[in-house]
Amino acid sequence: MMDPVRSPHEITQLLAEWSNGNQTALDKLYPLVYDELHRMANRYMKRERKDHTLQTTALINEAYVRLVEQKDVHWENRAHFFAISAQIMRRILIDHARRHAFAKRGGGAQKVSLDETAIVASGPASNILLLDEALNRLTQMDPRRGQVVELRYFGGLNNEEIAGVLKISENTVTRDWNMARAWLYQELSGSVA
Amino acid sequence: MQPERWQQVSGIFKSALALEPEKRVAYVAAQCGADESLRHDVERLIEAHQQANNDNFIDLPAVAEAAESLFSQDSEVKDRLEKEQRISHYRIIRKLGAGGMGEVYLAEDTQLDRTVALKILPTDVAFDKRRMQRFKQEAKLASSLNQPNILTIFEFGDIETLHFIACEYVDGTTLRDQLHDRKLKLPEIIDISIQVIAALDAAHEARIVHRDIKPENIMVRRRDRVVKVLDFGLAKLTEKTSGQSTASDTEANTELLVPTMPGTVIGTVKYMSPEQAQGLRVDERTDLWSIGVVIYEMVSGRVPFTGTTSSHTIVDILDKEPARLQSLGASVPPELERIVSKALAKNPDERYQTAKDMLIDLRNLKKRLELDLEIERSASPDLVTATTDKNLIPGTDSIEPRSTKVEPREGDRPARTKLVAGLALVLVLVAGLAIAAAWSRRRRETVVAPAPTASAASERKLSYWMTVQKYRNGQPFQDPFRLAGEINFEKDYRVRLNVSSSQAGYLYILNEGPASAGSTPSLVVLFPSTTANEGLSYLAENQRVEIPQQSWFQFDAEEGTEKLWLVFTANAVPELEAVKQFANLKDRGLIKDADLNTRVQKFLSAHAGAKPTIEKDDQLKQTSLSISQPVLIHAIKLEHH
Repeated sequence: MMDPVRSPHEITQLLAEWSNGNQTALDKLYPLVYDELHRMANRYMKRERKDHTLQTTALINEAYVRLVEQKDVHWENRAHFFAISAQIMRRILIDHARRHAFAKRGGGAQKVSLDETAIVASGPASNILLLDEALNRLTQMDPRRGQVVELRYFGGLNNEEIAGVLKISENTVTRDWNMARAWLYQELSGSVA
Repeated sequence: MQPERWQQVSGIFKSALALEPEKRVAYVAAQCGADESLRHDVERLIEAHQQANNDNFIDLPAVAEAAESLFSQDSEVKDRLEKEQRISHYRIIRKLGAGGMGEVYLAEDTQLDRTVALKILPTDVAFDKRRMQRFKQEAKLASSLNQPNILTIFEFGDIETLHFIACEYVDGTTLRDQLHDRKLKLPEIIDISIQVIAALDAAHEARIVHRDIKPENIMVRRRDRVVKVLDFGLAKLTEKTSGQSTASDTEANTELLVPTMPGTVIGTVKYMSPEQAQGLRVDERTDLWSIGVVIYEMVSGRVPFTGTTSSHTIVDILDKEPARLQSLGASVPPELERIVSKALAKNPDERYQTAKDMLIDLRNLKKRLELDLEIERSASPDLVTATTDKNLIPGTDSIEPRSTKVEPREGDRPARTKLVAGLALVLVLVAGLAIAAAWSRRRRETVVAPAPTASAASERKLSYWMTVQKYRNGQPFQDPFRLAGEINFEKDYRVRLNVSSSQAGYLYILNEGPASAGSTPSLVVLFPSTTANEGLSYLAENQRVEIPQQSWFQFDAEEGTEKLWLVFTANAVPELEAVKQFANLKDRGLIKDADLNTRVQKFLSAHAGAKPTIEKDDQLKQTSLSISQPVLIHAIKLEHH
C-alpha cells in the first residue's frame, strides 16, 4: 500500500543528502519531525514533569523506527536521524517561541530586538530564545559542546545516545554537558538579571 | 572569550569537577597560578554549575518545557490577534475564521482606507523560504489575471516571523458552509461550478494549477452570489517535493503532503485526483477532477470517495467507480451526470483535457435548462396534433408514466394560430418534457470516451434499431416492440430511434418528409437536439442515444416514405453543426436558411452514393452499418399509410 509520506526510501535518502551537507534535505524532513515533536509534546502534557529524559529518547527512537518502517535500522542512519531531529526541533521551538513572544507584545507593529523581547516577554519562551542565542555563541567557540547541548536539550537525547551520535565516550559527553550548561547558565544569568 | 582562553578554562573546570567539591578551590588556585582573571572565570563557572544543578537548569528537554505553550488552548488564545491590534498598516477589526492555512481577520487598511481580509500564515508554514517565494509568485500571478472569480491579493507582508496576506474581502460564506446549511438547487450548482471553472480556466491559461480545489476554498458572495476561488498557489506551500527530484525539478515533480504541518488541517484527501493521491506529477487536469468531486458533492450531498481513513479514501479514489448520482436519489440531468463522470475519469487522459471544455459543456447545459424551463412555461399539449407538416411528429405521450407528469401550464398557452406550424416546435417541446422528466429517471447507459483515433476514423460503424409503440384511439396499445429494420407503419404507430456505435464520432440525424412533386424536400434536424444527448452531436464510444429521448415520433397525415438520414462522421461536419441553430422554439427544427438547406442537401447527395454495408441482425433486432471511409450516411425509410 502506498503511504505518501513515510517512504523508508525517502527518509533514508534525505538523511543521506543531509549528511552530505544538503540543507534542503532538512527542510524536507521538517514536517516529518514536526509530527513527532507534536506527539512528544502531547505525551509530556499528559504526564508528570520530571522523569522524562529517557522517555524522550525512547520516543524519538520510536519515531525513527516508525518513519523508516524497519525493525533492523542501521545505527548510522539512526544517529543521523537523532541529530537532524534535534536540529529541526530546535528550529521549530525557536520559531514557536518567537511567535509566542511576538503575539504577547501585541501584534508587533515595529521591529524589536531580541533583548527587548526577552525583557517584555518573560517565561519559558523568552528563555528558549535567549538560550538559543547563547548556544549559537557557544557553538562558535566550541562546536562539539554546542552540539551536545543541541542534542540533549533540543533533541531530547540522553548521554548514551549522544555519545553514539558524536562517536565520543559517554564520560566525555557528561563533561561537555557540565561545562556547556554551566557556561550557558552564566550567560543567561548575566543577560536577564 | 577567545578560543585559547576557552580551552584553558574548560580544561581546569573539567578536572576540578572530577574532584570532591571541597578540594576544587585549592585545585583551581594551583592551576591558575598568578592569572587572577583565569581563576575568576573558572570559579564563576563552577559556581554556575552548582546553581544550574540546583535549578535543574535545562535538565528537561526544551520540548517538555514548551509542550504546554506549544499546544495548549491557552497559548492559541494568546497567539491570536486581538481587535484594534495593528499589523503593518492594517488594523484588525475582527476574526473571520480559521481556514485550512492560518487564521483570517477582517482588517482595515489604514493607508488606502479600505476593508481587507488579512490571512495570517502559521510561522511554520512559511518556514521554507524557497517554497514561500514560489507560492508568492504563483498567488500574485493568479491574482493579476483579474479574473472576477479569482480572489484578488493586495499584498504579501511579513513582520519578524509573522507572514500575512492582505486580500480582497468577500462578504459571504464558503461553499462548505452553504453545503452545511441547505441543499443547493440545480441552477445554483451549475452557476457555482461554471464560475469556479472559469477561474480555473484563466489560471490554467497562465499555467497555474490550484491543486486544492474543495468547498472550503470556494467563497460565495452574499449580495450577488459571485463565486471567488481562494488560495491559488497556496498548495505550493504545503505540498512536499519528491525526495528524488533535483532542486530545479521540484516544480514539476510534486507530491502529496502529509496533513501534519502546524496550524493546517489539510486533513482531507477526498478531493485529490488519483495522480495527486499517488504523489505523481500533477497538471491542470487534477483541478478538473477536484471540481468534479465538488460538483458531485453539491448534487448528492456526499463526496464520491470516502473511507474510514485517508488510506482507505485513497484506495477508493484509485480503484472505485463512484455511485451514479442518479442512484443516490439525486435529481440530476443526464448531461450533468456525464460531465461529472468525465471529470472523474481515473486516467487524466480520459478526463476533460481543459477547463474550457468543461466550461463549454456546463454553459451549454445551463442554457439548455433555461430554455427547457421557458418551453415548459409556454408549452401546450395541443401542439402534438396541431400540425400540417408532412414530417414526422414526435408525440408528447410516452410509455414512461412519469414523463406525463410534467404538464404545461394552462395559462401560458400561446395562441393556437401560431402553433400550427409543426414538427420542430413539437420537437423542442418534447425536449422540455423529456428532460424535465428525465431528471429523476433513467440513468445514461454510456460512458464518455476520448475522441476517435486516426485509425478508427478511416472506417465508420453504426448500429440502430427502432422501438415501435402501437396506438389505438389515442392510447398505447400492447407493449412496445423492437425492430431491426423497416416495416410498413400504420398511421398511428409511434416510433423511437436508438443509435449507438462502438466508435466515438459525430452523429447527425435529419428527417426528410415524403417528396411532393416539384418541391425541394424540406429537412428537419432531429439530432443533435434537445431531445437527446443534450444538444451535442458528439457520441462517445458505445454511447447509445434514443431519439427522441423517452418519447415518440408520430407520423403526420401525409402518407408516403419518411426518410431518416443517419450521418455518422469521424470529424464534425460544419454544415450539419450549423443546423443546430434551428433546433429552437422559433425555428422549430426546420432548416429555414435556404442556402444552408441546399448545402446540407448537397452534402447528403455527395456522400449518399457510397452505400454502407448493412447487416440486419434479427436475433438482436438491430441493424449494423459499416463503411470504410470517415463519413457514413444511411437513410432509414419509414413507409406509412
